[in-house]
Amino acid sequence: MNQKINTIAVIRAGVMVLCMTLFCALPPAFAGDTLNYRLKWLFNTSVVGDIIADTGGFFKKAGLDVSVNEGGAGKNAIKELELGYADFGVASADQVIRALEKGADVVVLAQLFQVNPMQWIYRSDQSEIKTLSDLKGRHIGVTFGGNDETIMNTLLAKAGLTSKDVRISSVRFDFTPFLKKEVDVWPVYRNSQGVILEERLAAEGEQVKFFNPANYGVSFVANSVVTSGAMMKKHPDTVKTFMTALLSAWEFAVDPANEAQVLAQIKKKDNGTRDDIRQKQLEATRPLIKPDPGTKIGVIDARAWRQTENIMVREKQIVTPVDVINCLVGPKKRKMP
Amino acid sequence: MLFRRIYQFLIVYCLGLTCLLAIKYGAGLSNYVIPGLTLIFDTAHRMLAGYFLDVLNTLSVTVLGQMISIFMAFFVGIIGRKSSWAGSFIKVMAYNIQAYPIVALAPIIFILMGDGFLSRLLIASMICYFPLLLSVLGIMASPIKDIEHFYIATGRMRWQLEVKIRAFENLNKLTTVIAGSATLAMAGTIVAEFIAADQGIGYSIRIALYQSDLACILVALFSIGIIISVYQGILETVGEQMKTKWFAPKGGDLL
Repeated sequence: MNQKINTIAVIRAGVMVLCMTLFCALPPAFAGDTLNYRLKWLFNTSVVGDIIADTGGFFKKAGLDVSVNEGGAGKNAIKELELGYADFGVASADQVIRALEKGADVVVLAQLFQVNPMQWIYRSDQSEIKTLSDLKGRHIGVTFGGNDETIMNTLLAKAGLTSKDVRISSVRFDFTPFLKKEVDVWPVYRNSQGVILEERLAAEGEQVKFFNPANYGVSFVANSVVTSGAMMKKHPDTVKTFMTALLSAWEFAVDPANEAQVLAQIKKKDNGTRDDIRQKQLEATRPLIKPDPGTKIGVIDARAWRQTENIMVREKQIVTPVDVINCLVGPKKRKMP
Repeated sequence: MLFRRIYQFLIVYCLGLTCLLAIKYGAGLSNYVIPGLTLIFDTAHRMLAGYFLDVLNTLSVTVLGQMISIFMAFFVGIIGRKSSWAGSFIKVMAYNIQAYPIVALAPIIFILMGDGFLSRLLIASMICYFPLLLSVLGIMASPIKDIEHFYIATGRMRWQLEVKIRAFENLNKLTTVIAGSATLAMAGTIVAEFIAADQGIGYSIRIALYQSDLACILVALFSIGIIISVYQGILETVGEQMKTKWFAPKGGDLL
């Protein structure tokens, strides 16, 4: 009997020590002076404004010490905000909406991409996709579980097509099925992979076109700058200073007059890409961030956010609506007259 | 053996889950970071049946991959046991190929074989094969001098007898290595599915990860754990029965 009680006591003590160790391992939010900014993906031209804010001294000039950290597969800025590993981050709209559904404390400060870079590439020798019904009979690549699957399903539904009218194939990380012409229409990030594929096929004498869902009324919001509601409440001035510095850096980065300087800064972080590709990627990034000279960088397109949420509800990506508009705290895009 | 495996897994799984929940409630984290019990149960209710079928799909490739690996490991191990040069060459090759990350080799495999059944089978076999080969090679290349000396001295030694003696004397090691390689084969198949397949539990985990759905991942891990425990339990039981048969001569008693 005594032995049994001892064993239970030892197990209890062990669990308590383990829990305490794990709690101690969690860093407190906003512990030091350094602000951690977690990007969504690796350093490349797509995050040019974030790179410039760091290496171009925009954060320093604003009196901030910011550590800009690369993202990648398995990294999730919203989770890091909650765990205290990051103070600011970049997340896509679907991540924000999923997090809100599960009770995360997250707010959107700015929408970096006014046009979603997720588009589809196809060869010019194929008949052009002028209307959504032109998708019928095509062999389309999608990443099952990814944003592109949700977007494509919405496009097909809008065109009155079903999965029987097209052929859908699972996409993986390399382009082989598209290069081998096994798949006709392949999802790419227009300003990064899109440029690389366009160049590679041009070298083989092939021309390409891009199919942009936004041209067919499907605006699924991409990367946005986020922070936690607690950070917004406790340190509003820090948030304001951070955002001012970051958006100024983006303005500088997409200004064609600063191209040489900007490319030199990107090269420091992403030296695995060829100079000419980087230059073309920068050219492709500008209209996605600032589609016209009048657009203020970072403005939030509330209508697109609402549409993104509606799509996710319809596609059963979330069970209940989250009223995403309530978490959009940054400046909104003015409604067109 | 089988039931012990299952309840041991359940203990480990429950401990892991308890730690996660302790962190969740201790640090006040939302369901997005660590799902609560209700969400895990809801997800299990929705996904468990599908995930079990996915794991069975993965297991079918795993079993085949492991069988190929065992056959290949014994074939190469027996051939390579005699010659010291061939033996050391095979060992160096095995160590080198083991050192390559499978994610780096995978694109080559997928270009050559597409992303279907064969790629999954090959990757599962590759991950499982080399550790098995090194163990088999080690066992087959080590003479049991006390016993072998008698047969060599009397001129009755044949290669089949040599292999039998070494396998018999190391039966415990061999059955442990074979049962252990089941987890390697399973891990290999899941990696292959995660990278490029469009079926199996690895593929389902990839989708859950895209959607940052930890509840789905926990349910998937539960399904994998239960089925791999059953599979390993069966392997160990078969191993035990083989040992019993080998140690008990025909018509005689087990000492």
